[in-house]
Amino acid sequence: MSERSELDEHLGPKPSDLPLGVVVGGSLSTGLTVKIHPAFTVEKLAVGRYVVIRGRQTDRTFFGIITDIGLDATDADLARRPPMPDEDFSAEVLSGEIAYGTMHVSPMLMLDEDQDQPRPVKTIPGHFSAVFEASAKDVDRVFGTEDKTHFYVGTPLDMESVQVNLDLARFIERSAGVFGKSGTGKSFITRTVLAGIIRSGLASTLIFDMHNDYGWSVLDESGREYKGLRQLFPGGHVSVITLDEETSRARGSKVDGVLRVGYEQIQPEDVEMLGSFMGLSGVMIDALYYLSYKLGSKWISILLGDENEETTLQDLVDEGRILGATLSAIRRRFEFFRRMGFLVPGKGDDAVDEIFHRLNMGTSVVLEFGTYGNTMAAYVLVANYLTRRIHERYVRQKNLAAGGQGDEPRPLVIVIEEAHKFLDPQIAGHTIFGTIARELRKYSVTLLIVDQRPSGIDDEVMSQIGTRMTCLLDNEADIRAVFSGVSGAGALREVLARLDTQQQALIMGHAVPMPVVVRTRDYDTSLYASIGLAEGEELKKRAKKGSKTLYGD
Amino acid sequence: MSEKAVLIARVTRCSTRSFVGASRLPEADVPTFGSFCKARAQRGQSEVIGLIYDIRIEDDEMARQIAIAADPSQEQLADNRVSRLIPIEISCLAVGYSSQDGYAYALPPQPPMTLDDVFALSRDEVMAFTQSMDFVPLVFSAPGLPADELLAACLRYSAEVRPQSEQRAFLVEAGRVCARQLAGDVARLDRLVRNLAP
Repeated sequence: MSERSELDEHLGPKPSDLPLGVVVGGSLSTGLTVKIHPAFTVEKLAVGRYVVIRGRQTDRTFFGIITDIGLDATDADLARRPPMPDEDFSAEVLSGEIAYGTMHVSPMLMLDEDQDQPRPVKTIPGHFSAVFEASAKDVDRVFGTEDKTHFYVGTPLDMESVQVNLDLARFIERSAGVFGKSGTGKSFITRTVLAGIIRSGLASTLIFDMHNDYGWSVLDESGREYKGLRQLFPGGHVSVITLDEETSRARGSKVDGVLRVGYEQIQPEDVEMLGSFMGLSGVMIDALYYLSYKLGSKWISILLGDENEETTLQDLVDEGRILGATLSAIRRRFEFFRRMGFLVPGKGDDAVDEIFHRLNMGTSVVLEFGTYGNTMAAYVLVANYLTRRIHERYVRQKNLAAGGQGDEPRPLVIVIEEAHKFLDPQIAGHTIFGTIARELRKYSVTLLIVDQRPSGIDDEVMSQIGTRMTCLLDNEADIRAVFSGVSGAGALREVLARLDTQQQALIMGHAVPMPVVVRTRDYDTSLYASIGLAEGEELKKRAKKGSKTLYGD
Repeated sequence: MSEKAVLIARVTRCSTRSFVGASRLPEADVPTFGSFCKARAQRGQSEVIGLIYDIRIEDDEMARQIAIAADPSQEQLADNRVSRLIPIEISCLAVGYSSQDGYAYALPPQPPMTLDDVFALSRDEVMAFTQSMDFVPLVFSAPGLPADELLAACLRYSAEVRPQSEQRAFLVEAGRVCARQLAGDVARLDRLVRNLAP
């Protein structure tokens, strides 16, 4: 231990040595109340910051997060006779003593002196334990260092030198969510995390890219261009498959394939989720199953009148199997299929096998929707169609692997946007997305859901979300939903409601040791470089080296 | 160079909580209400630090007669002020003591002895003694004293002996110590703090 210098003796403790305050009350479930030291002003504190509490009776250190800040007074009468604005001296004297600041701290982790790794709190520090601002060293100790499976996603507030690293192995173990109001940077955070997952090779990702945010370059609100995943991983780790070739080409996006879904490949289960978008009633949906059963694989073509099977349909009506009005309504609604250019008569491509093969080989797939992203029904149809079939293949392969007849499938993370449309409480119980969210990683498939209305997602599904990365939310129901199933997280609600509108997120759950508010990592050249993308001089150097290796001097 | 100690009185009666000194005539500046003094105790092993809380001038027969005289001369007035038989009494609250270990902010082990000299604390001594505010609770807890006025006077004086740049910070800190003692009585605290304000 370093000895105190004479100067230290003379000047007293440095500000960082002074405690922010002392614990004066609280509980494990509701958090701790801390009286702030008169030398500190509440104006310099912020919810979301870390503190370290040194136990008074033990050598145990507790890590906590400031979840609320308040003002209090020893005497309620002070509010009735406060110093006037021109009474500076009185205000200065009373501040900190009988009028003082308080903060609410949620203890998250504790560390015994003889241990290296902190563990979840099971008790609380005693009365009058000193509370200090967490140093960079303290926070580093909690979040570890970046390595192959730990990916740097941001820095704690006011700690630019400290990295918060996401445990990617744990992140993909369970479904995860990125939530936040529109324009708060959900896509940037998602893209950053996906870049980390792809770099780590821990899982393949299948991204249903509604707004063309992930595959190729993307512009932010100020018009600045950022690289998409396909550009970050030019070595073939990412494929872009488009539903709208024309738009992808116009954007200059390099695509590796075009998805065409044949009418004959579509089953009633694929259409069932579109009920609310297409105005299909329960009766109509029941009728679809019957029509598919009676008409076989060409049921959609027949409904659309592309096949010369009018008499067959009329027979069904005549036999009373289906009401004429119901059939007409269904046919009118199915005209939607004609407007979707990626839906084609016939059997279509063998896209599912192709995508499954790529995913299983470790290639992530970005499915660009082009202009079809503006049509929610198209997005839901394709996401549901592909996910059901790919999940089936994963289940099959997993079962084969369990029986020793095949290899384990490569873990897969499926990214869906506007997730509440898939995981609405009305339908989550019987859709593939609800199934995947609930079965955890049983079949090596998990979801990464990106959504601005988490309150629209089924509670049971939300409670299964392992890691939640949440940007600013101000709707009370959404905030409540984000914390559902998270024990002791109520205190963090204030933190969440006060995030900056951009580049700040609260990360909590399975992939981080404790909840953390981060300023998210810049999505720029430093990130590109960290995942191994060479640009400019570095690229030239590498090219030269490659050339030398191939052809000699 | 250290200041010469100024004798202000001699002890006439005392206890561990307070002592009274008698003097002939107060100087213009010392002693004053709220200033510090000291008197040796324990045969010189310690010095009791006192805080002057009362200065009393009792009347006598001669003073009463002169007071009602039609036109007393200036010589008569001066003579009765200087040569009077009943001394001026200076009451001091014991707020600490000094020993070889430095200052202690508690009641002294023994009071001074009768007729021990009482000296005013020099500016340096005041500054040293008031480095700590631990004497403040002793003032608040003393019964029957004008504690608030006494502390206001004492703390203002203690600020004045410090460099100008440190005076406000000293008064703020002193005010906070008082606030801690009067946390449950905002009205009283408010008056005290107003009296302390520079």
